[in-house]
Amino acid sequence: MTTRLSADQDLVRHLSEVSVSVELQTPDMTLNIGPQHPSTHGVLRLVATVDGERAFNVQPVIGYMHRGYEKLAEVRTYPQITTLVNRIDWVSGYANEVPFIIAAERLLGVEVPERAQFIRLILTEMARIASHLVFNASYPLELGAATPLFFALRERERVLDLLESVTGGRFHPNFNRIGGVKPAQGAGSATRKVIQDLPRGFLAETRAAMDKVLSTVNELEALVAGNEIILARTKGIGLIPPETAAAYGMSGPNLRASGVGFDLRKVSDYLPYTQFDFRVPTGANGDCWDRWWVRLEETRQSASIIQQAIDSIPSGPLLAKVPKIIKIPKGEIYVRAENPKGEMGYYLVSDGGLGPYRLKIRSASFSNLSILPWILEGALIPDIIAIMGSLDFVLGDVDR
Amino acid sequence: MNFWLELAIKLVVAAGIIPVVGMVIGFAEMKLSAKMQSRMGPYFAGGRWGWAQLIADGVKFFQKEDLIPADADRPVFKWAPALVLASTVAILVPIPFGPQVVGRNLDLGIFYALAVSSLSTIGVLMAGWSSANKYSLIGGLRAAGQLIAYELPLVLAVVGVVILAGTMSLNGIVEAQASWFSERGWQFGLPFVIVQFIGFGIFMIATLAELSRIPFDMPIAESELVMGYVTEYSGFRFLFFFLAEFANMFSLSAIAATLFLGGYWVPGLSQPQLNFVGPIVLFAKIGVLVFAMIWFRWTFPRFREDQLQAIAWKWLIPLSLANILATGLLKVVV
Amino acid sequence: MTASPSDTAATSVEGLAAALSDAVGGSYEVAHGTAKVRVEKERWVESLRAARDDFGLIFFSWLSAVDWSNQVEVGDALTETVEERYEVVAAVADISTGLIVLLSTDLDKANPRLASLVGVYAGANWHEREAHEMFGIEFDGHPQLIKLYLPEGFLGHPLRKSYPLLSREVKPWPGKVDVEGMPGQADEDEPSTENPEA
Repeated sequence: MTTRLSADQDLVRHLSEVSVSVELQTPDMTLNIGPQHPSTHGVLRLVATVDGERAFNVQPVIGYMHRGYEKLAEVRTYPQITTLVNRIDWVSGYANEVPFIIAAERLLGVEVPERAQFIRLILTEMARIASHLVFNASYPLELGAATPLFFALRERERVLDLLESVTGGRFHPNFNRIGGVKPAQGAGSATRKVIQDLPRGFLAETRAAMDKVLSTVNELEALVAGNEIILARTKGIGLIPPETAAAYGMSGPNLRASGVGFDLRKVSDYLPYTQFDFRVPTGANGDCWDRWWVRLEETRQSASIIQQAIDSIPSGPLLAKVPKIIKIPKGEIYVRAENPKGEMGYYLVSDGGLGPYRLKIRSASFSNLSILPWILEGALIPDIIAIMGSLDFVLGDVDR
Repeated sequence: MNFWLELAIKLVVAAGIIPVVGMVIGFAEMKLSAKMQSRMGPYFAGGRWGWAQLIADGVKFFQKEDLIPADADRPVFKWAPALVLASTVAILVPIPFGPQVVGRNLDLGIFYALAVSSLSTIGVLMAGWSSANKYSLIGGLRAAGQLIAYELPLVLAVVGVVILAGTMSLNGIVEAQASWFSERGWQFGLPFVIVQFIGFGIFMIATLAELSRIPFDMPIAESELVMGYVTEYSGFRFLFFFLAEFANMFSLSAIAATLFLGGYWVPGLSQPQLNFVGPIVLFAKIGVLVFAMIWFRWTFPRFREDQLQAIAWKWLIPLSLANILATGLLKVVV
Repeated sequence: MTASPSDTAATSVEGLAAALSDAVGGSYEVAHGTAKVRVEKERWVESLRAARDDFGLIFFSWLSAVDWSNQVEVGDALTETVEERYEVVAAVADISTGLIVLLSTDLDKANPRLASLVGVYAGANWHEREAHEMFGIEFDGHPQLIKLYLPEGFLGHPLRKSYPLLSREVKPWPGKVDVEGMPGQADEDEPSTENPEA
């Protein structure tokens, strides 16, 4: 009897406590994006807690491409490290070698001949064009537009073929030597060593190729920039204010898209950029559209720099006189360069041996990627793809 | 003719037309997209033209292992592609390919066609749910939202045509277009696209959304969800979805061509002649529409889900309602 | 010779390093264009906060460590004996003039603990995680000090000099000879680990 009464009372109390809630309590879902995914630029895994279409607490899991370069560098000689290092950011292979070689040369005290510096500059800018063309074309692909990719990759093949004709490799050139660039040794006889300069016609062909690159860039802009859907998907998405960008160490075109007109090529003298006339494009808002557009403009500027460099390249040797076995005296140095992905730097601690005591590689994409948890908080899932793509990172660069 | 013989012929044609049309349109997509992207497309299969590529693909899909995920809901998983393909075939029933070349001349032709086309929504939801995969689920739910949202503009766009024609039978609509100016003795008729261009635009946009083609392919969203609700399907089940997409392009374009472009009718031909020439004419008109769909697919990126819904609810539906109002007024007044 | 940009940069960087080291009570040295300010471990966070707020170095470039050890499992040993320590190095820069300064502090090998910089520079989060898993340095106050690159069950701290490189354990460095012969054919030179002469 008492139980029945108390059950009724319980029921009444329960009914009085029930409140009609408009929000349906739905459980959150944990979604793994990657590591095998068409859009993550490599093996990146994002663990996101998803509520409907919104993601919260996005944690990137990296390290799938960690190859231990910093440890490996400790057991290599200086010339051998070039082969390790151009595999960091494999899309723009040549650009990875340059700051390391310059660090080694500065510690050694070797003066690099002018012609070699110009060649390094030309090849670095070609690497920049290759990297930016891939980005500017594959970003619309992530949003769904498949066609720009084919046009841009066709032109990029031209640039890569030119790179291959002079260095022997499309992505891993190994063209730098401590003291300059590699002087090609022709197939002369055993008694007569023929040292060749750059392959005949390379400079003229490169200069002509730059016109085609400019026309492809115009084509890309016409195809993508006038498209309202792309603008609707990228404008106002993924805003990064400049202070946050600087605090996270975001550099390169990502930082410039947020309005900061800072380019290491203008303030640092690791290569003779100050002789050339080029603009530093900056974006207005720091959204995904600005990041795309800044890289497009930079491609134009790179093509212009290459043409100016080819017109004014001095003659001279390609390699300074350095000993056959390179031992760099004791010291420390940090050299940084404006790579296509951002600021890349090498902190070299040398103890006078054949190889470094410690080599710290500061890679651009590592810092660029570290902003993801902050910026993806509360983003819609399609926007995750749009924002992630716009940061233009490469997993080799992130993980080293 | 004997009713049963006629029925048998029609069934055979319906069963045969879907794979053939699917392959033809699929091949067209491959070649056209290749030309737009400055590459060759299928080249080696079948001479230097690649026409056998899709046949080879079909055979390949058929001989693949039938994989069903362990956690999947088996009967639902198996029946989902069948439902999608069934709705595609069922749309073809009232479409007239010639004055007498029609599956069944239904009084409620267009009503029936639109009702049956929305069956595919159920198939998509079944596929997304039963796959036991979070990506598929997200894709399936996106698809459900999108397909339901775009059903309304699809239907409302057609109402203007029905008002003008005065009948829901598809044969009747073609007749209305053919004989629009016949009381004045003019030979040529009026394809409704000229007066109903708003309706045509809305119908085509809604068709793209119903087909989940770019710019409305959020449910599949290849770069995000791998393949959306189709992710877990392999082998001949995937072939069903694949073919269903192209066949559905054909079916819905057939409806659009019938409603807006005049169907099987061209000026200057008599009724018996139209029985033979009509299908060719209709195929040509469908071809133009399918080409436009392929063109859009490779040019545009995709809309985000909320932008997609906003377009449907905030723009297309009010626009189509205004269209109906204007059409009704003009029909009475003019 | 006209003053090259590196000279001007060096003077400005030197000025900056001098001012910064005065402000935080450390010492500085500038060599090869690189300015390094050494601070005490207790004043680590305060020094970086001063760098950010008073000197405008708002760009956080990187943070890592150097393991100064006299006995190494990997590579060559140091030519002179040093005091064994972990030297944590952080690089911060300015995004208008391009000046960059390295700040460093020394940690005890026995108990490597340091205060975390996450409160000063948000980007230090991942760099400290990397230094933690590679060197075993504990950062106090870090919100989530878990492994970054290495898989969960990984034991040891790879970038320490006491951590051997497995591939070198299995096969020692051949020295002058870098190319293996064909299978079944003896190598022309015996692999040696002597330093080849110039």
